[in-house]
Amino acid sequence: MSQVAASDSVVRVSERGLSAGIRDRADPRLVLADRVDQLYGQMWLGIVATFAIGAIATFEFWSVGLRDLVLFWWGLVLLVTAATAGLLYAYRRSADRAEHADQWLRWLGIAALANGANWGFAGAVFFPSHTDEQQVFLAFLLTGMMSGGIPLYAASWPMFALYAAGIVAPFTYVLGTFGNRLFTEIALLVPIFYAVNVAVAYRLTQVFHAGYRLRHAYGKLTEDYSVLNQRLERQLGELEQARRQVEASGRKLSLFAERAPIAVLELDAQGIVTQVNPGAELLFGYAGAEIVGRQIKDRLVLPELRAEFDRQWAQLIESREPVSALKVRSPRRDGLQVVCEWTVTPLVNPEGTVIAVIAQGQDVTRQLEAERMKKEFTSTLSHELRTPLTSIIGSLQLINSGVLGDLTQDIGELTAVAERNGSRLLDLINDLLDIEKIESGKLTLAPEVFSLNDLVREALVLNRAFAERFKVRFEISSEIAGPPPEHKVHADRKRLLQVMTNLLSNGAKFSPDGGTVEIAVRERGRRVRVSVHDRGPGIPEAFRGRIFGRFAQADSTASRQKSGTGLGLAISKRLVEMMQGHIGFESREGGGTTFWFDLPRHDS
Amino acid sequence: MPSRPLNRICYVEDDEDIQRIARLSLERVGKMTVEIIGDPTAAIAAMAAFRPDLVLLDWMMPRMDGPTLFRAMKQRPETSALPVVFITAKASQVELDELTALGAVGAISKPFSPTELPNQLREIWAKLP
Repeated sequence: MSQVAASDSVVRVSERGLSAGIRDRADPRLVLADRVDQLYGQMWLGIVATFAIGAIATFEFWSVGLRDLVLFWWGLVLLVTAATAGLLYAYRRSADRAEHADQWLRWLGIAALANGANWGFAGAVFFPSHTDEQQVFLAFLLTGMMSGGIPLYAASWPMFALYAAGIVAPFTYVLGTFGNRLFTEIALLVPIFYAVNVAVAYRLTQVFHAGYRLRHAYGKLTEDYSVLNQRLERQLGELEQARRQVEASGRKLSLFAERAPIAVLELDAQGIVTQVNPGAELLFGYAGAEIVGRQIKDRLVLPELRAEFDRQWAQLIESREPVSALKVRSPRRDGLQVVCEWTVTPLVNPEGTVIAVIAQGQDVTRQLEAERMKKEFTSTLSHELRTPLTSIIGSLQLINSGVLGDLTQDIGELTAVAERNGSRLLDLINDLLDIEKIESGKLTLAPEVFSLNDLVREALVLNRAFAERFKVRFEISSEIAGPPPEHKVHADRKRLLQVMTNLLSNGAKFSPDGGTVEIAVRERGRRVRVSVHDRGPGIPEAFRGRIFGRFAQADSTASRQKSGTGLGLAISKRLVEMMQGHIGFESREGGGTTFWFDLPRHDS
Repeated sequence: MPSRPLNRICYVEDDEDIQRIARLSLERVGKMTVEIIGDPTAAIAAMAAFRPDLVLLDWMMPRMDGPTLFRAMKQRPETSALPVVFITAKASQVELDELTALGAVGAISKPFSPTELPNQLREIWAKLP
C-alpha cells in the first residue's frame, strides 16, 4: 500500500517538473538578487574610474582658474567616491543582502544618480568658462563617462538612465542656453544620444535578466531531477525487496506442496494437469510425467464417473467457488482403487478468469473402511445382542409374572435381580446404538405437534414403578395440576419421552429415601421449559463441566451405587438440541439439583 | 374393530428359544391358540391349514426374511388378506415406515415383553376395520 502511494507521488512530481516553464522554476527574487550582486560586483571599477578621471580633470581645471569651484568639485568627487565605496563595503558585509536586494538596488540608484550629477555639475560649471580645447576635453570626458556607464549599469537600465541623466541634463541645459548655434544643435543631439544609450542599456538588461533566469531555472531543474533520481532509486530498492519476498514465499509454498502428505495437483481451466507433488505421485502410483500434460479424468477418474466429472468440472469453472469434502473413488496405476477427499480451489485473476485450479486430496480409503466396519458392527450389535436378550429377559419376565406358578422367596428375589440386570444390559445397548446413530447423523426425528403437559403426565406414569423402587414420589407443581395452558410443542414425542425418562430416573436415583421429585412446566417467553428438581446431594463442582459428556458419571461411591450407563444425559442433550431446544441444570453441592430443557412454543 | 376377539395367532420365527417364550406368553398370559412356524419357506402352507386371525413375522430369518415372506403372502389368495405384525430388532423410524408401506398393520420391537405381548396384539387388533 505504502509503495503504491510513494510511486504515485513520484509520478506527480515528475509530471509537474517536466511540464512547468522556466519562468515558474526561476524565483524572481533570486534573479533580482543576482543582478544586484552583479552591479555591486563591478562597482569598484566605477569608483576607481571616478577617482582617477576626477583627479585628472581637477588637475586640468586647476590650471585654468576658478580654483574655489575646482576645489569644491574635487571635494564632491571625493565625497561621492567615499560614499560609494562605503556603500560597497556595507553591501559586502551584509549577511542578508539577497533578501533585501530591492533595498540595495535603491541605494545603488541614489549612488548612481549622485555620481552622474557630479559629472553633470562639472560639465555645467566648467564648460562655459573655458577655452575651446578644454571644452572638447570636457565633452569627451562626459561622453566617455556616459558610455562607460553602460557596461557598469547594464544589469539595471533604470540605474543607467538615472546615472546618465545626471550627466546629461545639466550639460544639455548649459549647451542649449550658451547662445551659440552649434552648441544649440549639440544640445538637441545629446538627448537623442542619451535615448539611444538608455535603449541599449535596456536591451542589455533584458539579456542579463534572461540569462540569470535561465541559470536559476537550470539550477532548480537539476535539483528537481536529483530529487526525482533519489526517489526512483528508493523505489527500485523497494521493488527489489518486494521481489525477493515474493520469491521467498513462492519457495515456501512449493516446499509446502512438496513435503505435504496429501496429494496436490495444479490444473488449468480445461482440466489438464500442469503440476503434481510427490504426495500425489505416491498416492496414485504414477510418475509426475505420466500425469502432467494430460486430462486428469483420463488418469484419475473411473470411466463410469467421467460424465459426472465433466458436469461438476463445468460447474466449478462456471461458479469459480471452491468445493470441499468431495469424496471420489480413483483408480491407481496398479489397478487398485483409492478414495480421496478433495478440496478444489479455482484461482481467479482480477478480470474474473480462472487461471488455475488447485486440487488437494487426502486418502480416506482406510477411514471409509473403518466407518463401514463400525456400521457393520453396530448392526451386528443390534441384532445379535438383542436376540439372546429377548430370550433371557422374556424368560425371566414370564417366571417373575407368576403365570407359570409360584416361586420360593429366594428364587423369586434372584430371578428379579437377573431380570433387572438383563434390562440394564438392554438399556446400555440401546443407549450405545442411540449415541452412535446421533453422532453419525443417522438419527431421524418424527416431529408432531402435542401438548407438553400430556407428555409429562405420560412420563410420570411410565416411571412411577421405577420411582417406587427408590421410595421416591413424583410431584407435579400446581401450574399443571390446575386447569393448564396446553403448552403445545412441535417435537418427536417418543424421543422426548426418552429425555423425560432420563431426567425422572436421574431425579429418583439421586433423591434421598422418601423424598419427592418436583416436576414443573412453565412458559418462558416464546419457549416452554420443563424442570425436574430433586433434593439429592447435588452435583460435585468438578463434575459439572462434563456432565453432558459420554459415559459421564460423578466419580463417587454414592453415584456408582446408583448404576446407569452414563450415556443418558449425553443422548438427552443431543436429542433436545435436534429439536431446537436447550438443556441445562442448576445445582448446589448438598442442596439438590434442577435439570431442565426448553423447546420453542408451537402456536397454531 | 373385528366382531370376534383375537384368538388364533401364527408366529413365524427361526429362533427356538424365542419360539418357546412366545408360545408361553400367548398361551399362558394371553389365553390364545398359537401355531409356531420355524421354517419360513413352509409358512404359507402352514398358515393356509391353520387359518389364523393374525400373523406375527420375524424380520431377519435364514433362507427367507420377513419382508420377502410377506410379499409372497400377498401373492397367494389364501394368505393375502391376513393382517401381519412384524417383530423386529430394527427400530428406526425409517425402517418402521418401510414396514407400514409394505402394508403391515403394526410392528413390535425386540426384545418384546412376554407379559405385554398379548395386550399389544389386542390393541392392534382393536384398531383393525
